[in-house]
Amino acid sequence: MISVRGLRKHYKVHKRPPGLKAALRSLVHRSYTTVKAVDGISFDIRPGERVGFLGPNGAGKTTTLKVLSGLLHPSDGEVTVDGHVPRLREEAFLKKIMLVMGQKQQLLWDLPPAETFELNRAIYDVPAIQYKQTLDELVALLDIGDLITKPTRQLSLGERMKCELAAALIHRPRVLFLDEPTIGLDVSMQATMRTFIKEYNEKYGATLILTSHYMDDVAALCPRVIVIDKGLLSYDGSLDALVQRVRPEKRVVLRLAEEVDAARLAPLGKVVTHEAGTAVLQVRQEAVNATISRALAGLPVTDLTVENAPLEEVMSELFAENKARREAAAEDASRESVTA
Amino acid sequence: MVRRYLRLLGIQLKASGLLAVQYRADFFTEGLTSLFWTFTALAPLFVVYGERPVVEGWSFGEALLVVGWFTLLQGILEGAINPSLTGVVEHIRKGTLDFVLLKPADAQFLVSTQRFLPWRAFNVLTGLGLFVYAFSRLGRWPSVPGLLSSVLLLGTSTLLLYSLWILTVSAAFYVVRVDNLTYLFTSIFDFARWPSSVFKGVAKGALTLVFTYVIPLALMTTFPAEAMLGRLPLHALAGAVVGAVVFAWLARRVWLHSIGHYTSASS
Ligand SMILES: Nc1ncnc2c1ncn2[C@@H]1O[C@H](COP(=O)(O)OP(=O)(O)OP(=O)(O)O)[C@@H](O)[C@H]1O
Ligand SMILES: [Mg+2]
Repeated sequence: MISVRGLRKHYKVHKRPPGLKAALRSLVHRSYTTVKAVDGISFDIRPGERVGFLGPNGAGKTTTLKVLSGLLHPSDGEVTVDGHVPRLREEAFLKKIMLVMGQKQQLLWDLPPAETFELNRAIYDVPAIQYKQTLDELVALLDIGDLITKPTRQLSLGERMKCELAAALIHRPRVLFLDEPTIGLDVSMQATMRTFIKEYNEKYGATLILTSHYMDDVAALCPRVIVIDKGLLSYDGSLDALVQRVRPEKRVVLRLAEEVDAARLAPLGKVVTHEAGTAVLQVRQEAVNATISRALAGLPVTDLTVENAPLEEVMSELFAENKARREAAAEDASRESVTA
Repeated sequence: MVRRYLRLLGIQLKASGLLAVQYRADFFTEGLTSLFWTFTALAPLFVVYGERPVVEGWSFGEALLVVGWFTLLQGILEGAINPSLTGVVEHIRKGTLDFVLLKPADAQFLVSTQRFLPWRAFNVLTGLGLFVYAFSRLGRWPSVPGLLSSVLLLGTSTLLLYSLWILTVSAAFYVVRVDNLTYLFTSIFDFARWPSSVFKGVAKGALTLVFTYVIPLALMTTFPAEAMLGRLPLHALAGAVVGAVVFAWLARRVWLHSIGHYTSASS
């Protein structure tokens, strides 16, 4: 469905130096720097897949989505989406896709969302019967019946986001790019959005790429994740396997009936936290069983659970690893250039 | 194809209409402002014609026609062209032009029809009023061919004005802040309230050339006024039509080129 080969997107930015004098000089002699937002990534996505794009701020996720939706021309590489080359922005292509951006809105500010729906219906040439059916379904699933006739400016962020999503789906796109669709929403609204997105994907077999900094979104929606860091692809596979690779240790959470000396916990594993009658131990996968039996035997345990490390932690560890590797490589390179 | 775009236009007009109804008190404020500005704009005309009956071949009544055309075009500019195109600048600044470009319809069409301010178009009525007044001063009425060709020129003038705006907005893709450009544009447009031959007396050579060909302002108001008076040569009429079409084509090319360069605002 989606195929990306060696995609690069470099932004040429005009460097505006500080200070008036330097600024004036730069008017005559403009200096440019190149920002390598995406620097050679490749992947394939099958129809109906749900894929999460992960990466720290500035990794190149949004840039990639914009290239995939035809808003930006790639600097290099080949991209096809359902047989179309996005940058040509053919009508047939644009009718199949949609990009939803949590930070920007397409709804007309002073008018009710229903007006935007109506406009999109005309733009996408949606037949009347299909339009009514889609709209009824969206209204029911997202519970936006009373909202769509209120002016957009009177809606709360979460209400607006639900209507945004509805406006984006009027033409039933088969490929959906979601760039931080849940940003700024409360936990229950995030859950609503996730359920809805999943349902849309399952019902219409739509292919879906999602970026989010909320790991719950990714864990709930995306069996497969692609990690991008500094414009490079650093992982492509299942989320579970990623966690296994980065942080194979499990967490054993012990609830204790009485205070226990730290010295008694230490031999069981690495103590992550220990306060107010709860101790969290980090233990290698294969040692989990042994640790549990020793804890039950030797400590006043009232409750015990085994968990994975929080995804946020796994991700920040992965990004830190990548960063360390990059710095080491840069150091090597500079050493080589000195000796050469 | 055409039907689809007509339907789109209809929907955009409806949306603007809904908004206009929300702000219907504006009808009166806009009306009063329009009348006020028209009278202040007429003041210099009274001053100039207080001294002599004819300026550069234009009598008072005839010059009034030019002011009438100026006022009418200003109504079109502020009611139908400005609102949409200042919206584009906003889109570029906030990065929401992305949504326009994601749509399977012509981007120039979508942005050019996104907003109309009907109350701002009050000047159109004022302009028509000025025509009636001017002809009553002249003591005659325009001929039918004269009227028809002036209606044709209304089309070319609007097209010219629109194309000039598209060119200005295209600049926004490169400099982002075009407030100054739009200000410059409105200030220059102000010159169009005078018959173009007046400038021949004031500014010789280069300036006349600029006003006639580079920024075809003079043509926008003077030609239709001359057409109404029945003294516009046929070749000038043809020239205006060809010129407007060429200009629109040029503006379209520049727009497409600028869109190609667009890299949306970060994030
Ligand atoms: N229009 C632009 N011009 C210049 N540089 C840009 C532009 N857009 C993005 N960048 C740069 O490209 C890099 C990647 O940006 P991008 O928006 O793709 O990151 P992201 O992964 O979406 O980050 P975030 O999680 O913060 O949204 C950043 O360093 C950013 O500064
Ligand atoms: Mg982003």
